[in-house]
Amino acid sequence: MKIRAIALNTFKEATRNKIYYLLIFFGIFFVLSSKLVTLLTIGDHVKVLKDLGLASINFFSVLIAIFTGIDLVYKEIERKTIYNILSKPISRKCFIIGKFFGLALTLFVALISMVVMFFLFMLLFSGELDVRILVYFILLYFELLIITSISLLFSSISTPILSSVFTISLYLIGHVIWTFNEFKDKIVNPIIKIISYILYYTLPNLEKFNIKNSIVMNINIDISMILSSICYAIFYIAALLIFTILIFNKREFQ
Amino acid sequence: MKSKPFIFIIVSLILAGVFQYDYDLHTNYFDEKNIFVTLPKGKTLEILSFGFKNFVADMIFIWSIQFYSNYNLNNRFEYIEDIYNIITDLNPRYRAPYYVGSWIMALELNNYKMAIRLLQKASKNLKDDWDFDFESGYYAYKYLKDYKLAEKYYKKAAEKPGAPSFVKRWQAHTIYMEDNLTYALKMWLEIKENTKNKLEKNSALNHLYQIKFEIDKKNLEEKIKLFEQRFRRKPVNLNELKRKGIINVIPKDFKGEDYIYDFKTGKIKAKKVFQWKKFY
Amino acid sequence: MKAIEIKGLEKTFTSNFLLKKYKVLKDINISIEKGEIYGFLGPNGAGKTTTIKCMLGLISFDSGESFIYGKDSKSIEGREKIGFLPEHPYFYDYLTAKELLFFSGMLFSIPIKKVMNKVKYLLELVGLEGKEDLKLKKFSKGMIQRLGFAQTLINDPEIIILDEPFSGLDPIGRKELRDLIISLKKSGKTIFFSSHILQDMEMIVDTVGIILEGKTIKQGKLSDLISHSVQHYEVVFRGVDESLLKSNNIGFELKDNNYITKSKDFEKVNHIIEFIIMNHGKIISVTPFKMTLEDIFLEEINR
Repeated sequence: MKIRAIALNTFKEATRNKIYYLLIFFGIFFVLSSKLVTLLTIGDHVKVLKDLGLASINFFSVLIAIFTGIDLVYKEIERKTIYNILSKPISRKCFIIGKFFGLALTLFVALISMVVMFFLFMLLFSGELDVRILVYFILLYFELLIITSISLLFSSISTPILSSVFTISLYLIGHVIWTFNEFKDKIVNPIIKIISYILYYTLPNLEKFNIKNSIVMNINIDISMILSSICYAIFYIAALLIFTILIFNKREFQ
Repeated sequence: MKSKPFIFIIVSLILAGVFQYDYDLHTNYFDEKNIFVTLPKGKTLEILSFGFKNFVADMIFIWSIQFYSNYNLNNRFEYIEDIYNIITDLNPRYRAPYYVGSWIMALELNNYKMAIRLLQKASKNLKDDWDFDFESGYYAYKYLKDYKLAEKYYKKAAEKPGAPSFVKRWQAHTIYMEDNLTYALKMWLEIKENTKNKLEKNSALNHLYQIKFEIDKKNLEEKIKLFEQRFRRKPVNLNELKRKGIINVIPKDFKGEDYIYDFKTGKIKAKKVFQWKKFY
Repeated sequence: MKAIEIKGLEKTFTSNFLLKKYKVLKDINISIEKGEIYGFLGPNGAGKTTTIKCMLGLISFDSGESFIYGKDSKSIEGREKIGFLPEHPYFYDYLTAKELLFFSGMLFSIPIKKVMNKVKYLLELVGLEGKEDLKLKKFSKGMIQRLGFAQTLINDPEIIILDEPFSGLDPIGRKELRDLIISLKKSGKTIFFSSHILQDMEMIVDTVGIILEGKTIKQGKLSDLISHSVQHYEVVFRGVDESLLKSNNIGFELKDNNYITKSKDFEKVNHIIEFIIMNHGKIISVTPFKMTLEDIFLEEINR
């Protein structure tokens, strides 16, 4: 009940955040500009449209995930609205979890809007609907949840500017760290090897959610890999949230 | 009075625009070859696209179409192979760049070897597509005039699933052009036997006729020479060859008819002539 | 059982950059009975807000204990029966007054229907009738403060904690707040508020706790603290000859055609009154000047 209160309140606040609307607008704009691009390309227009649509939805939803999460806890502390909440019989744990679900709801609404627009556009343009794309969007949603948990974590401990730098860096690392998979096995020095292993497993590994290539190029998708990715997301988010709660519990509000 | 700031804004923008126009007149943006050199290759670009490699590939491809159709630019082909390698490395199964790239390389740059390289990369990445090998074969046949190479590609293409029947015919024809007549004969016989298509059968028959003629011509003319050496004159007719024991059997053409012997020149002609070698 | 009990509270702050330690609370002891109004008095920076925050779990403290109705005040249960209004209340701009009260109610797990019934009543109580659908963006500072008070009462708390509730209020607002606090006490609630303004406190508190530089230096019923000391009596009179007064060793001042004489000694005052009457003078007033809270406070500071 209490978590729901905070979640809904967070959702209200996030959707009033102007960045949210701007990004949805740009999401629309970009999908429409794909039309322009298809005029310039030779070959499979539908493929290019799909690429553009998926890339822009990916890009903008990630921005929403990062930037709405970053403000959230920071603003509450800065504006002292947090006193009204924490002085009531609600644990700090509930507060953080409520914030997370509010963000999850916000992201869900944002993503669904963009997905619906994308599918409508694809239907109008090509008359066909590739339902497999939905699988990508499901995975994307889990990736967004991870990103937003990271930004929530940083929001509880530092200012928005630093938070955004850290969150963006971790996002980029998340999409590059797959290259270390083979590399880490080849390290000779045992200490560095252990450190590498630890880093490899604790830093977010986000490229697994990026099945855009397989979807667009009609390569077969392995359901068990998808389920495995989702499980990874669930546990990683749990770890992040628990960590955030631990840190937040120690926080003092002067 | 309120419109004053707006007027200033517009005037400033116009002035800025004038300077931009002037700058554009004096600059050739594409002289900066640095653009190409700084594009990282292969895996680096894949990593740097942070999960957007399809999109990046599309963008570079679209750019390349605009760029290479810009006829005013000289030296625009300097990095064309790199560009199309970058695009196809990012998205190896995207067909359009292979086609477009190889067409530009072949038809505009006339660098057929480069086109073939790109097409062979396509063939490797898109194992079930026959047309990349077919086109490679065609370029080798027509422009490089390397019939052995062409045959290799046609053979590859013919083995791929869904390859249409004409691929095999091209293969057979290139073998013929290599002057490997016995093998060509064998191939055409196979084609003739395996086809249900009337046109194809006719075509095969024509080829078989011509090839048999050439084989027989070579053989007979050799024997005539032998006769000449022995008897200091050309044979009166082909039967004489048989009578004198130079040859056991007089070959007939593929239709079962006699060849024409020209006493004066000592050459053999056939009733029908198919002149592929002249045209091609 | 005491409503609020705080023993030996200590808190040291560390400044992040310089690793300087600063002991804000050195020894805080507060004891509040059920149903009384307790005033927490101290100059700015003495540690009043810090104490309240420690009590509510917003800040951790180094040692000591803090109980609300016998339960640890840092625990969630300890906060069920509290209503708290921070010093500069700030709420979410984008909510309406009604929505804010719903939100607060939900945090207490109060069913929405119950809250709906209360909203009108509470808004009326604090003087914001009819404003339930107005967005908080449009509220003035005074209105926010009132709404904050309404929000404090949403769960019908037994203890109400207010941090500097009188700051920023105009005289009418202060009167209304005082009346409100008194009426809350009448309905059996305990009220604990901090302030550095003495006048308001003096008018309504039952018990006073004085804090200075992180220590509670005095605590006691207001009546006890004050009744000990009558500073002096003042007699205002006229119609007696000045020379007479002088010859009888009665010191005086002249003000608006009246004579004023002061004395600490009650006996002596009676003496003077007799003297005036005997000499056909007119007594205009006899006023005992008790120590005000201010005096008590300043006295403690000077120690």
